[in-house]
Amino acid sequence: MNGGGKMRMMYRRWVSSLVVAGLPWVGMTGEALDQIRRSTDKILAVVQDPAMQGPAQAVVRDRRVRSLIDERFDWGAMARSAMGAHWKTLSESQRQEFSGLFSELIKNNYLAEVEGYSGEKIRYQSETVAGKYGVVNVVILTLRGTDVPVSYRVLQKESGWFVYDITIEGVSMVNNYRSQIGAILQRSNYDGLVAKLRGRIAENKPGPPPAQAATENEPKATERKP
Amino acid sequence: MRNVLRMTLCAGLAVGLHAWGSAGETNDVVELPGIGEPAGAAHAAIVVSDPLEPVNRAFYHFNDKLYFWVLQPVSQGYAYVMPSAARRGVRNFFNNLAMPIRLGNCLLQGDGTGAWVECQRFAINTTEGVIGFDDAAKRCWDLPGRRADFGQTLGRYGIGPSIYIHWPMIGPLSARDSVGYVGDYFLNPLTYLVTDLPPSVGIQAYDTVNDLSLRPDEYERFKQAAIDPYLAMRDAYYQYRRSLVAGGAGGATNDPVTSTR
Repeated sequence: MNGGGKMRMMYRRWVSSLVVAGLPWVGMTGEALDQIRRSTDKILAVVQDPAMQGPAQAVVRDRRVRSLIDERFDWGAMARSAMGAHWKTLSESQRQEFSGLFSELIKNNYLAEVEGYSGEKIRYQSETVAGKYGVVNVVILTLRGTDVPVSYRVLQKESGWFVYDITIEGVSMVNNYRSQIGAILQRSNYDGLVAKLRGRIAENKPGPPPAQAATENEPKATERKP
Repeated sequence: MRNVLRMTLCAGLAVGLHAWGSAGETNDVVELPGIGEPAGAAHAAIVVSDPLEPVNRAFYHFNDKLYFWVLQPVSQGYAYVMPSAARRGVRNFFNNLAMPIRLGNCLLQGDGTGAWVECQRFAINTTEGVIGFDDAAKRCWDLPGRRADFGQTLGRYGIGPSIYIHWPMIGPLSARDSVGYVGDYFLNPLTYLVTDLPPSVGIQAYDTVNDLSLRPDEYERFKQAAIDPYLAMRDAYYQYRRSLVAGGAGGATNDPVTSTR
């Protein structure tokens, strides 16, 4: 009985420390965390903007979100890290080609992810910084009642902190791509990888289904003509 | 039919035990050049041993078709008629029922706090939470659940994940976690509450459909983001399990540096 009481005391302390750590506004003045939060808020504001709803606005909305993602992600570092040891073997033009395709794939996916946003809460928890590198920890409270831990790995440049990896529930995105790319390059070659990437991007173009997209592109085309 | 299930499980056990012999040597954590980070922050990549890849890929495609042809339409229809609050309740109910798996594994991992939390959660959720439909322990008592399973316990004992197996119906498991899966099967009260195969399979299927209905599009998005979905899932599985083993029942750790398994 006594032991139980003691455990409960310990537990309460543990719980309250968790609660305190979970409050985003308590002592959280980290620069990297702030910048991640600001970018995320801006992106979610665009997605939730009543004036930006509906398929007619999809093109504008996509463009805005893309440019907001570009402001916070370091695609070069991400591509280099995903390539791992193979990066050294690539020519400059291959590196650029790969970085472009790779960032396109991630952006499309990120876009689909935020388009599906339905009011999940984000708890900004902590940041740790060592020199130019840092980690920002957040928890996403999903609508099904589970908490998903997400970490942004960030890198400091002149204009701020840039994301070069996202880890969700212990799964690093860049590591995941690196292992895929490694396995693909083992069996095939750079051209095979690029062909595969192009195929994946074409297959999963975000946005409305083809029939809708066609009607939607028409006004855009006429817009451009004059 | 029941024998088929048993045989599958036994086969899994046999493969798992066999694979233990080679555990450790094939799953070394290697450091790959990252982007010039300080040494301590370097990402540890996992090299997965996948000698069964052709078979695994076939099962992956089977599961993929099963998802798109059966599970997804059924779960969408189910979500349409069933409000999400009720679906969350069903999920909580199954979760609460499976408490012995977590309690047992917390104990096996020497995690007294975790075991105590699981006991408290079960007591609260079974009463205040109306036989488990409401996760009152988390909502009102700030007692979030633990994630503990037998594969994780074996991992904490120092056993490496060993070879990758993409099981039909079940999905990705390492050889170690396949053994864990069998262990958890025997710790699950459902195994003893429902002993006839058809209703037992029915309940399992219902649990799966209910769970899928709460995370629609998750699999589709995962697939879309992948260059090769089979490889992506294999790596994600190993990374996820590695962090669960490193973090213990307290939960996954997001820090690849401290995750060594």
